[in-house]
Amino acid sequence: MERIIARFVGELRDCGIRVSPGESLDAVQALALTGIRGRRSTRQLLRLTLVKNVHDMPVFDAAFNRFFSRFQFPPEGDIPGLMDAAIVSMEGEFSTMNLVESHHDDEEPGPLLKLDSQIDPEDLQELKSLTEIDPDDSDGNEIVVQIKGHRELAKAPRPSRRFVQNPLTIDLSQGLPQERGIVFTAEEQASMQDVVSRMMLRLRKDMKRIKNNQNRGKLHVIKTIQKNYRHDMVPFQVALRRKRREKPRLLVLCDVSFSVSHAARFMLLLLHTLHNQLLDVRSFIFNRQLAEITDLLANLPVNELMRTIDEGDIVDLDENSSYGQVLLDFKKRFLENLRGRPAVIILGDARNNYDEAQDWVLEEIREKSRYMLWLTPEEREIWRRGDCVIDTYGAYCDKVEVVKTVEDLSLVVEDLLLDMYADQAHPLEKKRQREKEAENEQLDYRGYYSRGATVASEPAFDPSGRSHW
Amino acid sequence: MITEQGVKEFLHQGGYIADDAIATAVFLALRMEKPILIEGPPGVGKTGLAKALSASLDFPLVRLQCYEGIDEGKALYDWEYGKQLLYTQLLRTQLDSYLSVSADLREAVERLSSEESLFFSRNFLVQRPILRSFLSEKRSLLLIDEIDRSDDEFEALLLECLSEFQISIPELGVIEATRRPLTILTSNGTRMISDALRRRCLYLYIGYPELDREIAIVRAKFPDLCESLARQMVEFLRKARELNLRKPPSVSETLDWAQVLSILKASQLTPEIVANTVGVIAKHQTDLQKVTDLAVRELG
Repeated sequence: MERIIARFVGELRDCGIRVSPGESLDAVQALALTGIRGRRSTRQLLRLTLVKNVHDMPVFDAAFNRFFSRFQFPPEGDIPGLMDAAIVSMEGEFSTMNLVESHHDDEEPGPLLKLDSQIDPEDLQELKSLTEIDPDDSDGNEIVVQIKGHRELAKAPRPSRRFVQNPLTIDLSQGLPQERGIVFTAEEQASMQDVVSRMMLRLRKDMKRIKNNQNRGKLHVIKTIQKNYRHDMVPFQVALRRKRREKPRLLVLCDVSFSVSHAARFMLLLLHTLHNQLLDVRSFIFNRQLAEITDLLANLPVNELMRTIDEGDIVDLDENSSYGQVLLDFKKRFLENLRGRPAVIILGDARNNYDEAQDWVLEEIREKSRYMLWLTPEEREIWRRGDCVIDTYGAYCDKVEVVKTVEDLSLVVEDLLLDMYADQAHPLEKKRQREKEAENEQLDYRGYYSRGATVASEPAFDPSGRSHW
Repeated sequence: MITEQGVKEFLHQGGYIADDAIATAVFLALRMEKPILIEGPPGVGKTGLAKALSASLDFPLVRLQCYEGIDEGKALYDWEYGKQLLYTQLLRTQLDSYLSVSADLREAVERLSSEESLFFSRNFLVQRPILRSFLSEKRSLLLIDEIDRSDDEFEALLLECLSEFQISIPELGVIEATRRPLTILTSNGTRMISDALRRRCLYLYIGYPELDREIAIVRAKFPDLCESLARQMVEFLRKARELNLRKPPSVSETLDWAQVLSILKASQLTPEIVANTVGVIAKHQTDLQKVTDLAVRELG
């Protein structure tokens, strides 16, 4: 039994469910307590002990059906016999898998078809046994699932799932069916939630420290007395009054034209998740026109918003993007009542379609903002090609970053948040920050924007297996 | 020896209708002495399960309601500073005579330090819920409610208690549980709970119950409600849950509504009755309209 469980756990890990050895031990122990009494109860038992997250449950059910589709659970437990049968059948399955794989190496195009058409009597037997599965299993059409599983075995060996090693990376290059419009799958939203919650965790610690320093004000007499009641009023612990602290403001300009729409949608989703937790965000999207979507972000479900944007209801998506126009528009409509020195993030590839750059507006925005960051999804090597004016714009920004994955994005935003919080921090904290900056300045940043053409800025091989936009 | 079926039956006697997953989880938790982490939408009976278990197993219920900022002083143990101070005051004269026999200061300090443990003994320890359940003579039921409201630090604090059933108190050493309590943690999923905590628990997700089970729940609580009305009402609520409401009606709303209907002595659902009692099932202004519309569509 241990062997089967261990293999099943391996299968689950392949599917991206993180199962610890302790949990597999629990599963074995639980099975020993109840015995194997049928498919339903066994599945319940394994699910209780191995799966620790609601989102993993459908994955688990599919894996369970696939893995245990090979043998029948008897209505009553003849455990030793069952174990033997199971082990034998498991061995069988694994040898067929190997066979399939080696088959695959020999001839590339054929094997899929061949395997599907060459059904020998044994397979038929198997197919028949599939239909006999407990009918009140609540998972709908199991046969389909299992046949799918069967087919999958015949495919090329799966690349090791990225979730196993780098569970936070969302593959941005896949699952973007343009013709169906932009819709986030539950999985994408969940992984975004995951990325954000981890980011929050990391941030929270630093924030707490910074906040504590910020809170140094006058003595809060009443609280101090209350706190030291247990020490017979000897003020061991001192409570200080809090200073009023406002949420950092952030202003985001997001290009939603076709060339960067993938990046933009994840940026929007990230902001959507972050909004109100830590930040006061004003978001704008633009193509040739500019529109504010702060209220929409707050009120609409994210998928609906994406659809609205996608249908061109907010800004006309058929136009070519023009950064110059947008900047002018921004200056006219919003720059005057920009308050509180927000940090400005602009996301876009700066492909201006040979329009006027109007970069002097950026200068004005720069004066009104605390910090300006330009994010581009394009590699540094191709910045100078074609109509890209990022060199002109980049000169006004504090930083220009290449972001390729959601993880990159979250790291950039995290850094920014820390900067912003530190900006309001205690003098000591600021001093530390200045020292850090001085250290960084010793590195040579001259020719930062032009250097990219000659020096490969990105490592050729990314061991973390991150995907690319 | 309790079996899974037994669990189901005694829960039923306690007025809680459990499905197979719940019964299995409770059975395993009892036998393996592991905590259960229950997640699910609000009002599906997560806390209710703990209460029913405590009543039917006759385990005293020790409840710890989590909130932001809860710490070990509130959850595990605390020292009774006031009592300690009072004792030092009262014993001052005693101390004088006790220390007067010592020749010099060094000896006095030594004498005193040999008695130091007196002040950090169990006499001065305030038992907070977790310690209380660990030291309870009867096996108890420890309910850690809404763990997602607490901070991460508190979660980390729980790890030792939940895996080893022991508490380390620096002044006293390790205190082990006399009887390992049946531990139930509930969470509404407002915050992701760390994997470390999940790993130490059995994980049970309680969603909205199936039709028959929900009817059985209503019938168990309100036996005088007629079967057909119960069915009609549960079916209606199941449709309401699919409306994408801000706060979908849960089992607790079903029960409230059943109570209201039995007080009103209704025999059948009509759009008017729904419109009059909609406040029981919908808890947001926008939801009210949606539910009344549904009633007109479905029952009109």
